[in-house]
Amino acid sequence: MSEKILSEKGLVVRHGVLELMEHWSIALSGLILLLTGMFQMPMASRYYITSLPGLTWSGDYIVSLYVHYAASVVFIAASCFHLFYHGIQGEKGLIPQKGDVKASIIVVKSFLGMGPEPPFHKYLPEQRLAYVGMASVIILLIISGLIKVYKNVYAPDMNYTVVLWATWMHNISFILFILAFLGHMGAILLKPNRPMVRGIFTGRVRLDYALHRHPLWIKDLERMQKKENPEPKKETEQPVSVEAPAEKEVAESGGAACGASGVAESKVESGAAPVAEKAETATAASDDSTVKNL
Amino acid sequence: MEKQKEKGISRRVFLKVSAGLAAVAGLSTPKAAQADSNRRQATLIDLTLCNGCTDREIPACVSVCKTINKGKIPAPVSPIPEPWPRKNIEDWYARQEVADRLTPYNFIYVQKVEVDTNGKKKEIFIPRRCMHCDNPACATICPFSSNHKYENGAVVIDQETCFGGAKCKAVCPWQIPQRQSGVGIYLHILPHFMGNGVMYKCDLCVERLQASQKPACVEACPQNAMIHGARRDIYALAEERAGKIQGFIYGKRENGGTATLYVSDVPFELINKTMKKEPGRPDMAVGVQRRMAETDGLGKATLAAPVLGVMAAGIGLFWKWFSGGKDEMKGEGENK
Repeated sequence: MSEKILSEKGLVVRHGVLELMEHWSIALSGLILLLTGMFQMPMASRYYITSLPGLTWSGDYIVSLYVHYAASVVFIAASCFHLFYHGIQGEKGLIPQKGDVKASIIVVKSFLGMGPEPPFHKYLPEQRLAYVGMASVIILLIISGLIKVYKNVYAPDMNYTVVLWATWMHNISFILFILAFLGHMGAILLKPNRPMVRGIFTGRVRLDYALHRHPLWIKDLERMQKKENPEPKKETEQPVSVEAPAEKEVAESGGAACGASGVAESKVESGAAPVAEKAETATAASDDSTVKNL
Repeated sequence: MEKQKEKGISRRVFLKVSAGLAAVAGLSTPKAAQADSNRRQATLIDLTLCNGCTDREIPACVSVCKTINKGKIPAPVSPIPEPWPRKNIEDWYARQEVADRLTPYNFIYVQKVEVDTNGKKKEIFIPRRCMHCDNPACATICPFSSNHKYENGAVVIDQETCFGGAKCKAVCPWQIPQRQSGVGIYLHILPHFMGNGVMYKCDLCVERLQASQKPACVEACPQNAMIHGARRDIYALAEERAGKIQGFIYGKRENGGTATLYVSDVPFELINKTMKKEPGRPDMAVGVQRRMAETDGLGKATLAAPVLGVMAAGIGLFWKWFSGGKDEMKGEGENK
């Protein structure tokens, strides 16, 4: 299990190396696919993109197709790996749960300053919904793309209905993929979500942030770590003794937690303080600003 | 009347686009897709027989092609929207009579070359049109699949869904498709920013093929220099004729193979040397490569990628299990 509370560092491991590799291989190859997919339209030369340094190749359809194929190998292999590796293990954290739509509305309202955020698990309800949306688009892209590649390599005279189906499906899902990507970037820009950004680069998020915003997740982690290490060593990674505020409200946690984090982390990193103390510290710091009832 | 057609999306265009979208939803089959799945066909053009119809104003094949395709292209809107930022408008509407090169209104022309062979000068007349390649990049990478190769071998551009981006022309070794600006579906979307007309080229008289007729140019040739039939027969006939005259074949290997074979008693290297590649007047480079073949290896890797991913997942799971994560695998899935 890669998720772990690193109490002495004031951090929580949110993603393991494998998950990070999956995310970035899909994200980077996906971006290359978007770019080279656009270059498959007759636009690079028309819009003088070929005049830009380093992009002279963009007007050569065969070269951009070559890059498109290369990126698609990574994209498809990583997506299939993700689906099977986590699917077979029955990991459900990103699968939408009952009530996610309602909860998402509440969260979006909270972003607009209309009411408090509910306490979260590892993922926000709209993250789960977005995951299914993104996954559906990716599946459509992959299926239609594979049909097109098969046609290009083996069957140029493939049935026209199938060709049209695959082409339009690929083009429509291409647009949806751009929209999904923009939505993904937009979510990062929202202040409460920003502390999560470091998680997708380093795999770790701040403990005080997680305590404020993802108490249900921390509670799970605490339980699991207790199970794994019934007698923890004090000087290393300790089980959490936080009373996770599952039933309590966490208001405006992100921004407040961000603001409070300096205080929280400085205390945390000054020694091997127990997590409970850190939680209190974070809460106290948050109380000064806007976090309530943790 | 034709002008009127351009004012709104015609009923046919609407139906075709709807059919494409419906096909996406798996609801219907576009008419074109129901095309007669004729066996693969090919054309033999015997250059030892073609005399260029020098006794006529326009060669018979060119003349009949112009006649049967007349009026198929609607009149362009006036003024033709200026594309942005590159402002290249291609308008052949007022020059429809041009017959000595490929244009949107002229899908075949007869190229005359003079070669030195065995110390003698020899005139050769070469009917030039789309080769209808076996694996045509012009069709396979059309972003809207407006260009398609049918089972019978005809490579056909659907003028009602083509945006005229000229990608097909760019990837064709002979730059066969020609653009007419100011017509087509792009006028109804973003005419200044996306698309620039419709691409036109020989469609091998696909409608005639579907009616079990031969292409019009083949039927019109007074010299019987063109023969159209089952691909296997045409390929065998080309070999036979070339063998008899110790001649040469063009189109069998070029661009990965085509459905048009030229037979000549003069090497095509010599013929090509006399040609100057110009817009609408392609050369005959021998052994010209199918550039898309360079990407086939990676294409196959793409097709194998799902298996690679699943195998990697299997190895990963086995490793996790083997390195002691059995219990963990059983219980941790809940909230990951």
